Amino acid sequence: MPHSNSLPPKENALFKRILRCYEHKQYKNGLKFAKQILSNPKFAEHGETLAMKGLTLNCLGRKDEAYEYVRRGLRNDLKSPVCWHVYGLLQRSDKKYDEAIKCYRNALKWEKENIQILRDLSLLQIQMRDLEGYKDTRYQLFILRPTQRASWIGFAMSYHLLGDYEIANSILDAYRTNQMKGPYDYEHSELLLYQNMVLAESGQYERALQHLHKFQSQILDKLSIKETSGEYYLKLKRFKDAEAVYEDLLKRNPENVMYYQKLVEAKQLSDPDEKVAFYDVYKKEYPRAIAPRRLQLTEACLPAFESLVDEYLRHGLHKGIPPLFMDLRSLYADQSKADTIEKLIEQYMDCLSKSGTFGPKADEIKQPASALLWTYYFAAQHYDYKQDTDRALKYIDAAIDHTPTLIELYIVKGRIYKHAGDPVRAYGWLEEAQAMDTADRYVNSKCARYMLRAGHVQRAEDMCAKFTREGVPATENLNEMQCMWFQTEAAAAYQRLKQWGEALKKAHEVDRHFSEIMEDQFDFHSYCMRKMTLRSYVGLLRLEDVLRAHPFYFRCARVAIQVYLRLYAHPLQDVPQTQEPDTGELEH
Amino acid sequence: MNIRCARPSDLMNMQHCNLLCLPENYQMKYYFYHGLSWPQLSYVAEDEKGHIVGYVLAKMEEDGEDNRHGHITSLAVKRSHRRLGLAQKLMNQASLAMVECFQAKYVSLHVRKSNRAALNLYTNSLGFKILEIEPKYYADGEDAYSMMRDLSAFAAETPEVTENSDVKSDIITATN
Repeated sequence: MPHSNSLPPKENALFKRILRCYEHKQYKNGLKFAKQILSNPKFAEHGETLAMKGLTLNCLGRKDEAYEYVRRGLRNDLKSPVCWHVYGLLQRSDKKYDEAIKCYRNALKWEKENIQILRDLSLLQIQMRDLEGYKDTRYQLFILRPTQRASWIGFAMSYHLLGDYEIANSILDAYRTNQMKGPYDYEHSELLLYQNMVLAESGQYERALQHLHKFQSQILDKLSIKETSGEYYLKLKRFKDAEAVYEDLLKRNPENVMYYQKLVEAKQLSDPDEKVAFYDVYKKEYPRAIAPRRLQLTEACLPAFESLVDEYLRHGLHKGIPPLFMDLRSLYADQSKADTIEKLIEQYMDCLSKSGTFGPKADEIKQPASALLWTYYFAAQHYDYKQDTDRALKYIDAAIDHTPTLIELYIVKGRIYKHAGDPVRAYGWLEEAQAMDTADRYVNSKCARYMLRAGHVQRAEDMCAKFTREGVPATENLNEMQCMWFQTEAAAAYQRLKQWGEALKKAHEVDRHFSEIMEDQFDFHSYCMRKMTLRSYVGLLRLEDVLRAHPFYFRCARVAIQVYLRLYAHPLQDVPQTQEPDTGELEH
Repeated sequence: MNIRCARPSDLMNMQHCNLLCLPENYQMKYYFYHGLSWPQLSYVAEDEKGHIVGYVLAKMEEDGEDNRHGHITSLAVKRSHRRLGLAQKLMNQASLAMVECFQAKYVSLHVRKSNRAALNLYTNSLGFKILEIEPKYYADGEDAYSMMRDLSAFAAETPEVTENSDVKSDIITATN
């Protein structure tokens, strides 16, 4: 770079060594070489050396000095792209991306075609979603390095993200036709699917479908081919073709609910009886699959519903499937279905305790003893759902009498008390369950959650500590692992305990996780370009765009907002509050 | 219950499920790394509300052309959703994708020596074999069984996925 402040050959060689040391993370050596230049009074104020010294200090964690040196270097040499680039890198390391972008732009003023600076700038622009700026930078990179794959892909993607599908597609087409024809591989396969995604997002399903057909032999991801072509057929109202695709997909995965729904769409079934008959076919076809049996219950109406749910319940209770109630719960939105289930469950309990069968008929098959247990277990959850606490407790106690060693029963008993508004008793039963299987983290987590609901923060931490790394406090490990459910529940518990500071602390820990997750995408901007997993990359960008819409964030933000409002309305007095970590019982 | 390939937007919820169920946890970036390197390999089981009740987080080990194989980083099914055979179904979907997209010859995993239920699932329902014991594999000092399952049958009979015998217990741990 022709530059007024250039060093004589000996010092220039030293300067190059500083750069090399920086790249190889040999920071101590870098400082040594910087010192050799700067100790010469003639070059004591050499801007680029000062800036590099600052950047190196930053990597050693000496941030204040770093800023001092970088700024001094820049002041001494405002026309140096190196100084501006370095200042940009420093700001970037502090996550001040807007500032860093300004620095890179200044650097480029003095050296328009510096590839490294352009690349760094493009990463910041995409991170900040400056899509117009990103497009301009990717164009520059494309012009400067037209032989590199990443130049083409980044250029195309910049148009895609701006919604200019035609140009994005043309760039990808041009790239593809110029590519060396070799054996096709995963990356090529991903590229084709990405191009197909661009076409689909432009709304040209016919064209997308043709593209898919043309290249399907080069695409390895057969599932994506089928799933997307199914979509296209439906959009294009080519129902027969769609039908064949979804039939095929079900062979692959008969537990995918969407495939059944799309197949119903393809067959244009709207009458409930037709849908019930439709699921009969797949129940026979895939006798082990749960999805068609369960989906049928959603579609069926009374009276047909009764015999279907009867069959479903008997199967689950006979086998002893613990999630049976959870699985059926959504049917309760229809009161007549809930009533039918209740009638059947009452009948099972009656008959099982009398004759060991599900029904009163003479030819009923005798059930194993566990069938009654699972029926009690179901009944307890059923009545709990109906807020009939007395009945729920009656049946869960009957179940516990029947089989006192089954952990699930104690979990449900705790839940009944929770729903009845008694969080203290609720967690007592969870403690019981936890003690019966100390190796199961799920029960442990549930127990801790219940403790937090009851306001026992310390006890909950101790409970969690059984599964966190030894030697560090549980809260520290949970924070490191971004365990947001715990931190959110703890924030809410502290809020109920009126420990405002602690509540805010936990809420801010969760907020920090979300900031970290925003940061996480940074490395993937270049990584995915190399790996060609561009569809997933676009998925990541879209996730990050709305990241804080996640329920985990919402819950925590609500606590923080309520606490801040409360502190605004009632500022804390100077008198220090007495705060005990575990105040236990709350006013309910 | 619905079983489908995981999307980037599922990864946070998979992390949540993992933190509830297993002692081996990872930061989000590691989930992103899986989802953005091998998007076809991870699967989720979700309930009607779209809550994740089980997942398999998988990757490819890319040490040489002849030794291409998948690896199960983590597999979990919530205790509340056991005995539906979810773990087995998740594993079969992931294994098929390993063969189709990455020509995997086999899939490997680690399991705690004390985790009898998981061991039972892997050996009896999924056809895994114990390769060796890795002493002190886990942070708490427990040994791991290193296991593998040959996937050549998948390669031959794709796309149909085998449905094996009933799983009585899919109580799971497998990590890294």
